[in-house]
Amino acid sequence: MNRLLAVPGRRPALVLWVTAVVTLVAGLQLLRIHIDTDPENMLPESQPDRVFHDLVEERFALHDAIVVGLVNEDHPEGIWNARSLGALHRLTGSVLGMEGVIARDLMSLAVADNITQGESGELRFEWMMREPPATDAEALRIRDQVARLPLLLDTLVSGDGRAAAIYVPIESKDQSYRIASEIGRLAAGLDTPDVVHITGLPVAEDTFGVEMFVQMGVSAPLAGLMIFLLMWYFFGSWQLIVAPLLVAMATVIITMGLLTGLGYTVHIMSSMIPIFLMPIAVVDSVHIMSEFIDRHSPQEEPATTMRAVVAHLFRPMLFTSLTSAVGFLSLVLTPIPPVQVFGAFVAVGIMLALVLTVTLVPAWVARLTPRQLARLAPRHGADAAPQTTLARALRAIGRVGFSRRAPVIAGAAALLVAGLAGILRIEINDNPVRWFKADHRIRIADAVLNRHFAGTYDAHLVLTRTDDASGRFAAETAPLLGALRAAGVATDEFETRIEAGDFDGLAAAIDDALFEAEAAAIAPLEALLAAAEASRTASRWFQQPEALAWVQSLQAALAESGYVGKTNALPDVVKVVNRELRGGGAEHYRIPGSAEGVAQTLLQYQSSHRPQDLWHMVTPDLRSTTIWLQMTSGDNQDMTRVIAALDAHLAANPPPADVEVRWAGKTFINVVWQQSMVSGMLWSLLGAFATVFVMMVLLFRSLREGLLAMLPLTLTIISCYGLIGWIGKDYDMPIAVLSALTLGLSVDFAIHFIERLRALRAADPASAERRLFEEPARAIARNALVIALGFTPLLASPLVPYATVGLFMASIMLISALATLLLLPAVMGRATAAPTEVPA
Amino acid sequence: MNARIACLLLVATTTAGAETLTDAAAIVDRANLAAYYAGADGRSEARMIIRDAQGREQRRQFTVLRRNVTPGGDQDFLVVFSQPADVRGTVYLVKKHLERDDDRWLYLPGLDLIKRIAAGDKRTSFVGAHYFYEDVSGRRPRDDSHELVETTAEHYVLRHVPLDKASVEFASYVTWIDRNTFLPMKIEYTDEAGKAYRRVEVLAVEDFQGHPTVTRSRVSDLTGGGHTDMELRFIGYDLGLPVEVFTERSLRTPPREWLRRPGD
Repeated sequence: MNRLLAVPGRRPALVLWVTAVVTLVAGLQLLRIHIDTDPENMLPESQPDRVFHDLVEERFALHDAIVVGLVNEDHPEGIWNARSLGALHRLTGSVLGMEGVIARDLMSLAVADNITQGESGELRFEWMMREPPATDAEALRIRDQVARLPLLLDTLVSGDGRAAAIYVPIESKDQSYRIASEIGRLAAGLDTPDVVHITGLPVAEDTFGVEMFVQMGVSAPLAGLMIFLLMWYFFGSWQLIVAPLLVAMATVIITMGLLTGLGYTVHIMSSMIPIFLMPIAVVDSVHIMSEFIDRHSPQEEPATTMRAVVAHLFRPMLFTSLTSAVGFLSLVLTPIPPVQVFGAFVAVGIMLALVLTVTLVPAWVARLTPRQLARLAPRHGADAAPQTTLARALRAIGRVGFSRRAPVIAGAAALLVAGLAGILRIEINDNPVRWFKADHRIRIADAVLNRHFAGTYDAHLVLTRTDDASGRFAAETAPLLGALRAAGVATDEFETRIEAGDFDGLAAAIDDALFEAEAAAIAPLEALLAAAEASRTASRWFQQPEALAWVQSLQAALAESGYVGKTNALPDVVKVVNRELRGGGAEHYRIPGSAEGVAQTLLQYQSSHRPQDLWHMVTPDLRSTTIWLQMTSGDNQDMTRVIAALDAHLAANPPPADVEVRWAGKTFINVVWQQSMVSGMLWSLLGAFATVFVMMVLLFRSLREGLLAMLPLTLTIISCYGLIGWIGKDYDMPIAVLSALTLGLSVDFAIHFIERLRALRAADPASAERRLFEEPARAIARNALVIALGFTPLLASPLVPYATVGLFMASIMLISALATLLLLPAVMGRATAAPTEVPA
Repeated sequence: MNARIACLLLVATTTAGAETLTDAAAIVDRANLAAYYAGADGRSEARMIIRDAQGREQRRQFTVLRRNVTPGGDQDFLVVFSQPADVRGTVYLVKKHLERDDDRWLYLPGLDLIKRIAAGDKRTSFVGAHYFYEDVSGRRPRDDSHELVETTAEHYVLRHVPLDKASVEFASYVTWIDRNTFLPMKIEYTDEAGKAYRRVEVLAVEDFQGHPTVTRSRVSDLTGGGHTDMELRFIGYDLGLPVEVFTERSLRTPPREWLRRPGD
């Protein structure tokens, strides 16, 4: 091992060249980068809820949609004036022609169909607003028409008349930023007093991807720069800190190159890998350089000094790296693929950083000229006790820790209790729109549009009839088919149709057979036809009036939950058409009394300009239907409350037999992955905690010191998460993932602390505690400060997860450094004192 | 023997049609007559299979009775649904006028309801199919301006531009009219951007009583996918359909004797 560690000092050029070539090759892989911001990918592709969600999107031809809102707060009639509707009409027209927009499914007043009574009581199907209104009076006439159509009101125009919406379905989610930007440009050129807002989950997600890319390119390097400025401040030598700079850069580039090169996409999680790796990559270098400066004397070859330093620090560095890697590797236990990828690659990066630290740093130092090295000496001589503020503060901390043990332990215990209380207050919640700060244009659009409309967040409650209609039919009609075969009629096609459940096709085939049939076959054929028709009508369950009544009862229950702005479903269509067929009176706003009545009502609805709209609500076989929920909040908590409300309703009012009730939709899918994330994170955290504990016991070959090493990190995790509970910040994806970082980084300080104290006590027990609070304590404090302050640029990021990481990183560093430097002395006591009991 | 005479007559009519026409309006008028006015009256049974982009099917089966009030002018239609069973007995009565809006009535047996339907917009779906009302009853030649674009060995190729752009969803359409039968064999509708988004095509033509008749055709949605196939069977012309068949009385009590299949 020692021989291996000596290589960088002897062959520095070789080490530098090999690193450079490997980094360059990995860097080239970055050109293949593929960004993925789809939260659906938080679930494995085979996850049952995701499979069902995809199936529902296909079954009902549902697409991700951008929501564009025109808001008029000034005009007395709100949006109901010729100028605003003209703008809406023009904007709709332009959007319809855009590449990537599914024009036929676009929803806007300008392409909405209207069903009304003509002057002599005739039924009229006409476009609601084929041409924009020429006068304000015409605009008000359109308002009155819309008021009669519950499917449009509060969806395409807000109930308060202040806003109109365009739902822009798009072919692919990764087009939404481009399309939203184009719509934004069109809106800017629109001659209108209205304010145009653009939102929707696809826009939020895709915009996040674009801004994430910017953050990776700007924030992360900026954080890196900050770290190196701080290191320069601490070490005072440009030449020296170039080494950790190279280590950090090579670590990040090789790890990300490996990730993209292996074909993984850069998801929101993996985009943070550089930010996580940067501090971890420099911490070992900080320890090495701190000790190198302390030990170096002009009389000695720098390579020799460095070899001694590396040999001395290798064990704690190996263990700190291993523990950090274990913390991140534990994320592989979560059932969320992007989190697994993130955990695995950070773990790889950590071990890579260790290798680079023990090779690149010595190689670099070996190349420094004696003159450059000499400049290090005056500032930090080997035996000099520096009188900087930091140094004095650390000595004070050391004195407090060792002498005022009871108050320190009591303070820690109080912090622990407060932290636990805070954890109990934690609200588990997430919403991709909230990944933007409150003043981001998407957040503003989200707030404004959800204030006016029934909601821009979607969920679907899918109801599916599951009885085996064709199987029952086959059993019932077997004797008839036998009779037909006896009469010489070929029944192959009938049987194929029956098996496929295609009663329509069967009826047509029987009809054809009847035309050519011999006399003996006519009676059984007619009986079969009658049976086929009866089975067909029965199998089309969602055109039975009682089925529609049940769907309505679910809609009512959902509305009562208080978290649903509006539901849209098949009964709404049937009732509107029935009313207009019967003269338009409000008393006819109901479901017809027979399945035939419903079927004929739907046939009329299909005689409109947009017959395909029906299939967004029900399948052509009338066996599966969906209730579209519009919600004003995309928070998982609110979706969870809706689910609970429905569950309670279904428990009290069980659904009919053979009907499956199941959730789908983007807002629902976000709840699913978040739930599996929270439980997954808890298990991975516990698993990592146990593993790290075992490693500590093995490292120190002592149960007591193993427990001691776990103390600061336990306090850090509990107080950091307690803080989240107290300040009321939602426990979301970034927060969950940071637990792994907390665990990995806060144990580092304890390892170095205990390891160094042991060595010092072995050398000279009398001065050990005093000396511990010189160079070793400074290395710990410098590390904490470098990382904590180094990440302040992230606070300026418009993306909340990045700001959260920055803030959290600072808290973790400060709390765990303090916990290590204060609590460990208090618990351990001076060497002469009797061992203190370790709180469990 | 009868068949031979019919053959001779057919040859005679085809040769007569073989002279090359150069006047777009004249071609359109003859095409209109060939496609919608064969015989003094007629009946046929239509079977529609509507397939969406996912290949899911819906079926419709109905009988159409037609009577020309004046040759190339007003017409009456009675459309009676027989399948699927839950819409059986649904009836449309259409009085097509050249000089004013059509009169349309609807009977829905499930609601026991007769309702007049406004004729304003004829470019709505016909009972959920990719066919429009106008495809079934015919678009008035005078609603468009016509231009003969090309004359090929088999077809007159014409381009038509609507006179009232606001009343239709297309910017223009092109028809390929058979030079012998004058049946429009293919129609393609183009949007403002110049993209063809809808196609009507004839898949089979058969001769009935000297009238070349479309027996199978298809309308395709070229952007969203999906198409509707229509098959026409049990076709007869010059049946002597009485005027009373095309009155409101036929809505509730369809004229059984005229709806029956020939030979049934």
